Amino acid sequence: MRSRRFLVAVAEHSVLIGFAAIFTLPLLYLVLQSLMPMDQVKTAALWPRDFQWSNYREVFVRIPLLRYLGNTLLICLVSTIGTVVSTVPVAYAFAQLRWRGRGAVFALVLSTMMLPYQVTFMPQYEIFSKLGWIGTFLPLTVPSFFADAFSIFLLRQFFLTLPGDVLDAARIDGAGEWRLLLRMAAPMAKPAIMSVALFQFLFAWSDFFGPLLYLNDENHYTLAVGIQQFQSQAGKLGEGNLTLAACALFVLPIMVLFLFAQKAFIEGVNLSGVKG
Amino acid sequence: MNRAKGRRAVLVVSMLSPWLIGFAALTAYPIVISAYYSFTRYSFGTVDPQWIGWDNYTYLFTKDPNFGHALRNTLFLAAVGLPLRMLVAFVTAGLLATKRRGAGIYRVLYYLPTLVPSVAGALLFTFLLQPEYGPVNRLLHALGVSHPPLWFFDPNWSKPALTLISIWSVGDTMLILLAGLLNVPRTLYEAVELDGGGPWTKFRHVTFPMVSPVTFFILVTGLIGVLQSFDEAYISSSAAAGPQAPPGAPEGSLLTYPLMQLNAFQHNRVGYASAMAWVMFLMTLVLTALVTVSRKRWVHTSAGEA
Repeated sequence: MRSRRFLVAVAEHSVLIGFAAIFTLPLLYLVLQSLMPMDQVKTAALWPRDFQWSNYREVFVRIPLLRYLGNTLLICLVSTIGTVVSTVPVAYAFAQLRWRGRGAVFALVLSTMMLPYQVTFMPQYEIFSKLGWIGTFLPLTVPSFFADAFSIFLLRQFFLTLPGDVLDAARIDGAGEWRLLLRMAAPMAKPAIMSVALFQFLFAWSDFFGPLLYLNDENHYTLAVGIQQFQSQAGKLGEGNLTLAACALFVLPIMVLFLFAQKAFIEGVNLSGVKG
Repeated sequence: MNRAKGRRAVLVVSMLSPWLIGFAALTAYPIVISAYYSFTRYSFGTVDPQWIGWDNYTYLFTKDPNFGHALRNTLFLAAVGLPLRMLVAFVTAGLLATKRRGAGIYRVLYYLPTLVPSVAGALLFTFLLQPEYGPVNRLLHALGVSHPPLWFFDPNWSKPALTLISIWSVGDTMLILLAGLLNVPRTLYEAVELDGGGPWTKFRHVTFPMVSPVTFFILVTGLIGVLQSFDEAYISSSAAAGPQAPPGAPEGSLLTYPLMQLNAFQHNRVGYASAMAWVMFLMTLVLTALVTVSRKRWVHTSAGEA
């Protein structure tokens, strides 16, 4: 009986480790390839002949990564601020205020999540183009100030859990709703707001379609588009070590962010799914 | 009283205003106007919208050689890729749910690939799956597969390759499912044990019904996501075939529906691309409706949930 339990534990752990390998070995491969000398990349070698750290200097020369990084960070920060300031009041109105038609309007918010972006992006492009915004960061930042459905949904989930009696007590004391929101609800919802901010930051950091559509000047590229363009010009997987070094630099900040904010990430994912 | 009501309305509207404005300008107006454009010939800056009735749609369904192709590509990803991805989510979440000690570190490791941006993930996989010297094929070779797949260089294997990327980044779906699994009351399992039921009975009569609402949620969101999949197909296709190759190379096997549509847009065929968008929209609605109707058959709702 005891040995059987031991065997089951061993089997379980082997499967767990097997999956861990599948999920993480590609990332290890990414780092190892990025350190290889050029002539070793197109070989079956898995381990660099010598660790050529200069690839990481070279990649900054070949690709204007610092400029791309600056562009990316600017878009990330502005769109994250936009998402937070616009979503908090909307989510609060859906969770804590009682008004007629609330359920129906919220259903409308949720239904927009089903809408394929293919339907909306062309008229949006037309609007932005009439405003003279094509080739600027504005189409990638301004829309975030208009509260997206996913963030509203996530924050509302959290606002629903706030203790009603505490808020009601403040209401009886004559506090207005805006005041309640800014002084009480928003501070209590800090973890959820962090999750929303993180998701938006990560989305803007990784976004490929938006920058591909709206940025036509190389000087305005984000990391996502800049790295893709570099690789595409190198063609047929040439200069793989530099491409992968750029990818590693692109991924690294997110991994660091994740390590520091793991709880907020996982809270956020849970918040988005628990109630369906 | 009326005054109070009016003030209340002002309060609600002011709090909702970011969403209201965004909805009107960036969602509702685009929906209406793109429906109109889909019945016109229209190019930004050169051709004003001219009403041509159903012409765009008839051309799309009867003449455009890319349409059937792109539709099949996208439906393959939905019918084969998505179920596989959900299966892996179930297996990994199930493993993590039963494991008490050390689950935290595995959870982090399984989740990591989800954080990798699509550009980095797609480029990384084109290297991993490189036919001659890529490590996956070296491994297959070592395992005795004499002619391993050419992946992104073979029209028959490019979509399975794309599916591998989506399976690799299954972490967010897995976490949602895991939260659902951990919410299942342990007493239910104990009840099955008392009745002498084994693991299969537990899964069939406790686990599956209890997580079926979550499963429904990830199935619907997964379906909507896969129908819109663009990044990985676009990036790995041009990485493997080079920038001059037609979109969706090799041989259009990676031309997903959104890729085809963007291509029409980039050729400034706005009216035609709008018709494509509407076909996609209606398809999404129909497929989601089918899943929702099927829900009654397999999604368990207890008294507490709606």
